[in-house]
Formats: sequence, C-alpha cells, structure tokens
Amino acid sequence: MGLFDRVFRGADQMYEKAESEYGKALAELGADASLAMPDTAYHMACIYAYQNRRITKLGDLREALDEIKSRMIHEQRTGDVFSSGIASVMAAEVIECCKYAGGRSPYEGTKYHGHFSDAEVRELGVPLVTQDIPGFVVIIDPAPSDEEAAALIKGYQNRGIFVFLIGGVIDQAIRSKIQMGFPVRVVPVGEDIWAVGHIISLVVRAAMIFGAVTPGDWDAFNEYSFKRIFAFVNVFPPLRDMTVACGAGAIAKGFPVITNVVENVWKVPKTIIIQENVADFIETSLEARDIKIKITDIDIPVAFSTAFEGEIIRKKDTRVDINGARADCFEWVRTKEAHEIEDHSITLDGPDIDEAEQGATIAVGIMVDVAGKNMQSDFEPVFERKFHNFLNCIEGVMHTGQRDMIRVRVSLDAFDAGFRIKHIGEVLYAKVKSEYDTVVDKCQVTIVTDPAKLKELRAEANKSYDKRDMRLRSMTDENVGVFYSCILCQSFSPSHVCVVTPERLGLCGAVSWLDAKATNELDPNGPCQVVTKERVIDEDIGSWEDVNEAVVHYSHGALERVTLYSILEDPMTSCGCFECICGIEPASNGVTIVNREHTGITPLGMTFSEMASMTGGGVQTPGFMGHGKHFIASKKFLKAEGGITRIVWMPKALKDIVHDRLNETARELYGIDDFCSMVADESVSEDPETLLEFLSEKGHPVLAMEPLF
Amino acid sequence: MAFKATPQKFTAKINALTVGTGDREISLGGENVFPFYSFDAPIENSPKIGIEIHDAGHYAGIPGMDEYYAGADTLAETARRAAAVEGADFLAVSFDGAHPDGGDRSVEDCVAVIKEIADAVDIPIVIEGSKSIDKDVKLFDKISEALSGRNILVLSAREENYKSIAASVGLAYSQKVGAESAVDINLAKQLNVLISQMGVKSENTAMNLGSAAAGYGFEYVASTIDRVKAAALAQNDMMLQMPIVTPVGAEAWSVKEAIVSEEDFPEWGPMEIRGINMEVSTAAACLAAGSNAVILRHPESVKAVSRFIKALI
Repeated sequence: MGLFDRVFRGADQMYEKAESEYGKALAELGADASLAMPDTAYHMACIYAYQNRRITKLGDLREALDEIKSRMIHEQRTGDVFSSGIASVMAAEVIECCKYAGGRSPYEGTKYHGHFSDAEVRELGVPLVTQDIPGFVVIIDPAPSDEEAAALIKGYQNRGIFVFLIGGVIDQAIRSKIQMGFPVRVVPVGEDIWAVGHIISLVVRAAMIFGAVTPGDWDAFNEYSFKRIFAFVNVFPPLRDMTVACGAGAIAKGFPVITNVVENVWKVPKTIIIQENVADFIETSLEARDIKIKITDIDIPVAFSTAFEGEIIRKKDTRVDINGARADCFEWVRTKEAHEIEDHSITLDGPDIDEAEQGATIAVGIMVDVAGKNMQSDFEPVFERKFHNFLNCIEGVMHTGQRDMIRVRVSLDAFDAGFRIKHIGEVLYAKVKSEYDTVVDKCQVTIVTDPAKLKELRAEANKSYDKRDMRLRSMTDENVGVFYSCILCQSFSPSHVCVVTPERLGLCGAVSWLDAKATNELDPNGPCQVVTKERVIDEDIGSWEDVNEAVVHYSHGALERVTLYSILEDPMTSCGCFECICGIEPASNGVTIVNREHTGITPLGMTFSEMASMTGGGVQTPGFMGHGKHFIASKKFLKAEGGITRIVWMPKALKDIVHDRLNETARELYGIDDFCSMVADESVSEDPETLLEFLSEKGHPVLAMEPLF
Repeated sequence: MAFKATPQKFTAKINALTVGTGDREISLGGENVFPFYSFDAPIENSPKIGIEIHDAGHYAGIPGMDEYYAGADTLAETARRAAAVEGADFLAVSFDGAHPDGGDRSVEDCVAVIKEIADAVDIPIVIEGSKSIDKDVKLFDKISEALSGRNILVLSAREENYKSIAASVGLAYSQKVGAESAVDINLAKQLNVLISQMGVKSENTAMNLGSAAAGYGFEYVASTIDRVKAAALAQNDMMLQMPIVTPVGAEAWSVKEAIVSEEDFPEWGPMEIRGINMEVSTAAACLAAGSNAVILRHPESVKAVSRFIKALI
C-alpha cells in the first residue's frame, strides 16, 4: 500500500469518528445545543477558516461534515492528498469540539490543555511573527524512552521552540518531571491524535489575526502558514493511518514531518524525513523547516560591549601577544558545505594560553567555517574584516590588522577571569551567526596554536587571500551585471548618492563593490541597493539611463544625472567624507589630487579643506570631485578626460600609497614606465609655475594632450 | 504680463489615517499639496493638535498649567480637562513614569492608568511610550489589548523594537502604529518598509520623524520633514506617504528658554510665556514644514496653534 492510500484510509477513519461523535452529542444534547468554543471570536476556527462557516449550534455541524467529506477526494493526485489531509484536521476539530457542546468544559481538572483562547493565540502569535519564538513543534506519541522524550523536549525549550505534546509523550514528560503549561512553552494538548484540531485552530486564527487572511480562502491559509509560521511535527510509533492523514494536513500547511518510523513511510525531501536517531531529531527538524536559532548570549567569562572597542592593552598588562609579524598567525573565513560543518563546534588544536609564559608572543591561526544556502564566497572578506570589531569588543582583548597580519593581545585581567583561546571562538561564532544570520546557517571555529601545523595552514590561507585579490582585480565595470548605490551618508548629506562599481569604490574608501553587494544581501532594505546598467548612454564617460534614474530616486529628486568617469560632465557628487579631492589645474591642463591628511597648499592655491568646501554637500561642481584613494589607479579614473595621465600633482604620502598600482596602470594603458616620477609633489612645487617647469622637464604626457576646456 | 498661477497639486497624496471612533474620530493627512498650499487644492484634513498629559497627571510646575488643572485630583478628571481645551483634537498620553530609571511603573498599573483615562474621554487617544525599548514592547501590547476597539495610535515603534510592536499593536489588536525615527529620511523610510513587511498596511501607520525645539538644530527637522513630503508627493514614494505626527511639548519645555527662572534672567521675562512661545513657534514651524499633527502641553499653546491653523486654511 502506498503513502496516498494510507492518507485516504486515515482520512476516512477520522471522518467516521467525527460522524460518530457528532451523532452521540446530537442524541444527548439535540441539534439546538450551543456549540461555542470558549474565549474566541473565531468559532470553530478550522471550519471557519476553511469553510467560512460560523458554527454556533451543534446542528450546524451537519453541513460542515458534509463539506469535509466532499474534500476527502481519493484520486491519486498530490492535491487530493493535501485536501484530504486538511479535511482530516477539520474532522479532528469536530471530534474535539463536540466535547465542548452545550457549554461543557471537557478538560477542566485533567492534565490536558485542549482548546486555546484567542488571548493565547495572540500571546504566542506575537513572538512567532517577530521570530522571538523561532517556531513550534508538535510531538506526537511516545518517544522510545522517557529519557529521550525529556531530552527532546528540553532541547527544544533551550532553543526557544514552543512545544505541543499529543498522546503518550505527555505521560513521559510527566514521569520525567518536566514542568508544563502555556507560560513555560510546553503544552500537553490532548490524549488522542484528533487533538491536532486545537493546534491547527491556533494556526488558522494566527493567519486571520496577523495575516488578515479571509475565511474561505483555502490557499491563502496554507500559504500564510508555509511562509510565516515555522512549525514542524515529530512523530513516534505506532504512526497510525489517522496520524498519517493529519500529517498530510500539516504538510499542506508547510509543516514538515520528522519520524523514526521506517516501515510503510516514504521519504519526501524537506517534507517527510526519516531520522532513526532520536538524538538528532532537533537538528534534522530545524534544518527541514529552515529555522535558525538566534544567539543572544555570548558564553565568555569577561564582558562584551562596544564600550571596550577602544581599549588599549599595554605590554606590561599583556598575558599573551598573538603577533602576525613575528609568528604564523591568520584569520580565515572558509565557505563549506552544510554537511561538513558541525554547528557551534569550537576546536582548539594545540596548547592554550595557560601554557605560554607571561607576555609571550604566540602563534594562533583562526579558521571560521560557514555554510548557508545564501552564502557566497564573496562575503568571506567582508566577515573577516569585521573580526576586528568583534574581537575588540571583548573586555581585555585588543585586536588590530587582518588576514595574516593580525595582532591580538589578551590582558592579564582577562586571563585571570578565565579567558582562554576557545572564547575567541565563542565570540566569533556568536557574532557571525547573529550579524549574518541571513546568509550563515551553520558555523564552526577551529583555532590552531600548534606552530608545526601553522606554517602550512598560513600558506594555504594566503593562497585563498591571493585568489580573492585576483578576483577583485579581474572585476571590471564591464564584466559585472549591476552596480550598487550607497546612501550611508545621507543623514548629514541629504542629496548625495554614491554609485559604487568594481573600478570606482565609494569616495570614503570604505565601501568597495563587494562590500556594497554584501551589504545589500545582508540587509536588503539597507543603504546599498542594486543599480542596473542596461541602458547605456555613453560608456566612455560612464553614463547610463538606469544609473541616472537611480540617482534621481535615491537623492529624492535632488540630482538628475551623473557620469561615473568624468570630472567635467555631471561628475558624481560627494558627501564630505571623501579620502581625496581631485581638482583641475588649468595651467597644465591636468588635475591635482590631494588627500585629507595633507594640510599644506596645492598648486591650485587651495588647501584640502578649502577644496572640500566646494566639493561636498551633494552638489555637482564640474572640475572638482571627491573619491577614494584606490580609485586613483583605476582604469576608469577620468576616463572621459583622457585617464590617469591627467594627474600632475599629488602629495608625496599619497603618491607612495598608490605608487605601484598607478605605475602598473600607466604601463598597461599607455606604455609609460615609472609614471609616478613624472607626477609632482609638495617637495618640488606648490604653485602653477614651478609645476609647469617640472612637468616640462619630466616630459609629462599631459602637455601633449587636448585642452580640457 | 499678468501673473498666472499654476496650481501645484500632485497625483500622489498623503495617506489619510483615522484615529479614534465615533463623532470625535479624526483623520490625519490625505492632502495632495504641500503644507498649507490651500491655493493649489483644498487641504483634505487640516493639521491636528494633540494635548499631552502623562501617567501621573498633567505636566506640573508651570503656574498657568497648574491653574488650569487645579482641583483635577484624578487621572480621569485631568484627562477630561485636557480634552476640553479649545482646539485639542486628540489626547496624547505619555508613560514617562514607566521607564525603568524613571519610576518603573508596572505594566499592570499603566493599563489601569490608561483605562481610567480612556473611560473618561471620547476624543481619540495617542499613546507615547516610556522611551525604554524593552518596556515599550510590553507596555504597548497590554495597552493595545486594554483599549481594543478604540482605534488608538501608538507612537514609537522604533528600529530596535518595531517587530514586536507592529505584530502586537498593529496586527494582533488592529490599532494604528507610529514609526519613530531620528530625523533622517532614509531611516524613516527603511522603518516604514520594515513595518509594512511585517504585514501592517501603510494606511495604518504614521511617522514620528523626531523633532527639536526651534533654534536647537531645528534646520535638520525642517529639512527632513520637507524632503519626506517632497518625496511622498512629487515622486510618489509610497513608503513615505504616511502622515507625520510630531511631539513638540517635550522638546520645547526642556530647553533653556523654557526652564530658567525669571529671577536668574529678569531681562527674559516670565518663564511660562517663554515656554509657550517656544512651544508655539516650534509647532508652527513643524506644521509649515509638513507635520500633519503636533502634540503640545500647554493649553494656551494649543489655543494659539489652533488659531494659526484656522487662519491659514
């Protein structure tokens, strides 16, 4: 016999039972007996939701039962199985509600809870909607042993999952002295399988209250519970046909069924799951229903707060110094497959801090492995860069650097309070899981302190860093599908919008295209939004219709057009946090670039702050443009005006920073060697005359270029 | 050449949000022109004024206010007096005393307070919170339950607690939700988007964009409200079309001009008049920028701002 047949047989049995209970109640109380469920405005909620029928008298059930029967179609189509499943649940509600007919209180003084009041629906509904309660489980029938039942219930409780119990598992819980009741989130609903009627009654009322779903809209109820109510079912033997039928109803509502029964059960991915090992029920169930448990507490012996971010730990207060400059250290995020990761496993391979001498320099390699359906390897560096903030928030820990050039100090006080290496893992685990919960489903941390192993691992990490850098370098504005907007600065520069592209990072220098992409995926309503680039106006000056539309939208109408590669025609605006300002130097037909740190005068006769006053504030000032340091060596820098060969002057410090990459770009694009040596700085000139002399002497290419105006 | 006026009315409009029930029900917003541009098109609903009391009665210590509320020994009587002020369209109740550091009045007590007040008046009620993120969650849940059917507006669902407040206030009890942000158009919009994603319809939400007393950084407030209205009307940005409610009293009555005594600054004149002037000028500026409702404390301020609105519309 197939699964479908079991559902149909179970549905028939449930219907027969409903008819017989109805008949008995009718004989005893008469058709006019009141049938009002206590403390609810939704009548018999399953019947109301799925049939748009308000039951008030016992006799009203006749038509409801007929409609239930008509829904139990026994064709071999999937839709019929779901329809029969929901109908079985309605029949279950009829069986249960008959007990309440004539104003009786069937469960008063028993160990069972029975019907839920509207107040209880709201009380459970609010945290379910906000996901403060991540979901609920319905456990049906006894687990193989009392101990396993207790462990299962407590495991769910620890994860904040609401637990409903039906059947023999209730007695197991009582024997295991588990406290039960609505406030402690473990509710013994009823003795028999038809008690599910009360649970689905709660579910459909939540849909009507919180989702404004209209009674009678069959599909909308199922869709609401699938999308918004994170529930699932755990079933133990004997798994009767009636339970299978109700299971079909649960599945129709999007609730997967996890069981340890192997005979006469057919696996359906993400829907019917056989898990023979009861100890693994929780993990299997949560994964099946895509439930992620929020982490609120970090289990470490010292405080964790942004208040400690700026804490400095002096050498004399240092217990150990993890120093990437002197030993093999690194931080490395790796994307893995879900099955390769044991969530929340923190492994230390090698000696702990205890074994190091006070003040010693030690080697530590930290590997954080993450997995998730929406995880992309492009997010790895984004997470890694945040480790700095995460670890700095620990009281008594100071962190600088990234990749294999990290420096971490653990203070004597933190050590005395019990801080050990594994607590670094606890912090990283908790922060990665909570900050990036939209993309990280599972996370494990491995910390290696064994110097013998670190050398090889560091080399491997470096290979991975190199690969990422290669990917960054190989990305061009042409070979990506979209750009991103960034309006992080609008709180103080209301009309400014950055358009971030692979070759033009945000002018603050802090938001690369990959950062913007990650920000967008992690916080879909946040400051970075997708900007398409499908309708080209002029690719040379970097102008697209879509980009202009986005700029209008995100500047709330203040800007109409920007170009991405021109300083003269609709240049991109600046907020005020630009790393550098580029301004036209008329005498040479070139541009000068000055960075924020440079306090001296430029050949334009202006200092950085004087130039800043006319560049910031979200206004377009042709001839001036704010940008990030790394944009200088980009092939798109002033592309419209002839590119980087327009650069005639930069402060020496800035030139040193961009030196190698700028020379490389000049060589690649124009075949010029050592271009930087032709660019003047404050040591040779601070006025147009000496600048021109210097340029002529060096044979700077700008002198042969077309005039800018 | 003669001047020819071109009416600047928009196809987009601000959502009309109803608060309260029965004869005293009010509608906030609904207009399709800039604030007070009644020469472009009729203003659907004139801006409204709320009068503010708190969980322990009226705001005491101002002679004229103490006089107005003199003899009002119960909350019910205080509420009735407040509601009777000429020009007051709704009653705003602030739960200052529920903040954990400010008295920590229990949620049960607060519910008793609001029930006593609600039973005494028939004008619409707007709830302001305790300013504590966690306390507000519990407080608003129970108040919304206690005032089921009164169609109250609960101000201050914030970024940190909007989920719970939207779910309980907006969904479980079908009351109106006010989204509070701190003078930033993007944060305001983001919060509106998030609240609507929770399932609360935009037609059932208002915005509190934050405020400052006139002269205390008010430019930011004016520019934010202004830009929100421009985006809502000129660009038809649906996620900014909620009416704006601006609590003014707390800001106006806490700046130096409103609190230093006449003894210390004799040349400034009586403190009370200064406070009223501060409250009225801030409120007028908010309304001119685009607020659809302001919340004030002093009965004289309410009267003055009410005259101001009537004179312009």
